Amino acid sequence: MFTRVLIANRGEIAVRVIRACREAGLETVAVHSDIDHRARHVFLADRAERIGPAAPLESYLSVAAVIDAAERSGADAIHPGYGFLSENPQLAAACQDAGITFIGPPADVIDQMGSKIDARRIMAAAGVPVVPGETPRDQSDEGLRQAAASVGFPLLVKASAGGGGKGMRRVSGEGDLIEAVRAARREAMSAFGDGTLYLERLLERPRHIEVQIMADGEGHVVHLFERECSIQRRHQKVIEESPSPFLTPDLRARITDAAVRAARAARYRNAGTIEFLVEPSPIGGDAAFYFLEMNTRLQVEHPVTEAVVGVDLVRAQLAVAAGAPLPWTQDTLHQRGHAIEARIYAEAPALGFIPQAGPLVLYREPQGPGVRVESGVSEGDEVSVYYDPLLAKVIASAETRAHAVARLEQALRNFPILGVDTNLPFVLGVLNHPRFRAGDVDTKFLDAETDVILAGIGVGSWPEAVTAALAAHGAVTPPAPQDVSAARDPWNVPARGSLRP
Amino acid sequence: MTDAPTVEPLGRGVYRVTGDGRATLVYVAGPAGRRWAFADGRVYREPTTAASSPSQPAAHASGPQVLSAPMPATVLKVLVAPGATVSKGDTLVILEAMKMELPLRATSDAVVRAVRCREGELVQPDAVLVELD
Repeated sequence: MFTRVLIANRGEIAVRVIRACREAGLETVAVHSDIDHRARHVFLADRAERIGPAAPLESYLSVAAVIDAAERSGADAIHPGYGFLSENPQLAAACQDAGITFIGPPADVIDQMGSKIDARRIMAAAGVPVVPGETPRDQSDEGLRQAAASVGFPLLVKASAGGGGKGMRRVSGEGDLIEAVRAARREAMSAFGDGTLYLERLLERPRHIEVQIMADGEGHVVHLFERECSIQRRHQKVIEESPSPFLTPDLRARITDAAVRAARAARYRNAGTIEFLVEPSPIGGDAAFYFLEMNTRLQVEHPVTEAVVGVDLVRAQLAVAAGAPLPWTQDTLHQRGHAIEARIYAEAPALGFIPQAGPLVLYREPQGPGVRVESGVSEGDEVSVYYDPLLAKVIASAETRAHAVARLEQALRNFPILGVDTNLPFVLGVLNHPRFRAGDVDTKFLDAETDVILAGIGVGSWPEAVTAALAAHGAVTPPAPQDVSAARDPWNVPARGSLRP
Repeated sequence: MTDAPTVEPLGRGVYRVTGDGRATLVYVAGPAGRRWAFADGRVYREPTTAASSPSQPAAHASGPQVLSAPMPATVLKVLVAPGATVSKGDTLVILEAMKMELPLRATSDAVVRAVRCREGELVQPDAVLVELD
């Protein structure tokens, strides 16, 4: 059992985990880099430890700094969140060595599932279907060229140690292969310290459907149904929902059964996700699904499952890590209604979705029935260049998919974020797309529809309401540089980076 | 709208604008001349007078060209040295921001006059990274 949990993360997920710890009566320790010393997760925790400078490699990605902070603060458990060190077996192993409970699976399981080669081998042996692909022993450019020829084009180059789209490249033909291989290798080296690459046949229009699983230390494994995450851009998910509008009861039974088999084969413990690619059959027969990877951690999109199944996954993680049996049996778990999540990123869709940094001059989160917002920022905060551009997740739930989509749309229409460009207007464009409304989505949806959506959300002439409000704003706050209130205006802080025009 | 809309300030930067029987909440922030506004899921920004879009490396029709940073980023790799001859499309510098690599390529055939960044450096938007002749 443990009493003081260090959260080795930042942003919305650190906030989420701190809340769950407080509800469970556990003390919390936040960690922060220099530029995060006034971040929301720092204020919410009982205490906070500085773990290094802004660069993630020297702070949030440093196993030594995190373990050191845990020992300084007397923490007896670590929750890794997602990203950063969550899928680094060295943190789990270091916890074990230091007598700290790691809230996640054992180090050797993380290690095995983190290697796409081992994961595929284990899944194939357990009878879980896998996508054609290979990791050549010869990792030279020439070795990868030969492997590519046998896998076939189009293909994906992936970091064997990776996740979250880092180090991943699409290659449509042999001519693009070597440049993609070199870029992927560099990204993999800098992100994971391991440049081993894996080549995989690219399915043409698959849907991304994943299954949440949870396992305890006594060998019990349950699934918490699926999430569909087909709306993704460059392998970063944008919209996730549950149930999947695609799965029939029969296919749902088969895919969740495969996920439980996969978790057992991995000797899994705690919360995890089995990602599948699902290829609809062109002739109306059975759809095929393939194991893509196992994420050995909590997912960004876990609230979708929480809403539909009516559980608290982080609370269950804490309980299982403390040695308790699973709080549920499979027959007590059901999907009820529909939930959908939008990720709001600081990025400029009109400029190729380039990430944005700057001050959140105005930031007001929406609320209402069936609306949940998870975020790690507040008005006045600075969005930095150093970390993931995810600002907030908005999760809407309702009895039907159509109602959940309508709720999400209304929530986003009432979520003003000013000072930094975001993808919010773009997400609204996706929600209003006829194909999305019909559930006719696949992982190529955004590749195919982004231009249409961008054209649809372009701001032409300004509505009279906006012009009127701008005029009124000028009248009530005349520019007065010497005014005392100006010192509080984040636009007047000289140290802040200049805002791009 | 037939009549002039009614504007009611509700709080810092928030206005309720009523006209033609409909009410819209409009949020406004930013300094005069560079205001941002949000209404009904859309963002409106006052147009600026900046000459070039920062999303594209500045390339002048005559004289020296420069390759500049489109956003705050870390210089991951510098692939050229002063004096090098480069062809249109060659990758000269690779930036990294928020987990993504961003290659900066030559927009025409040129000779590298100067490299104004080093690997590992954090660069600000519009910072000149490479000068080309």
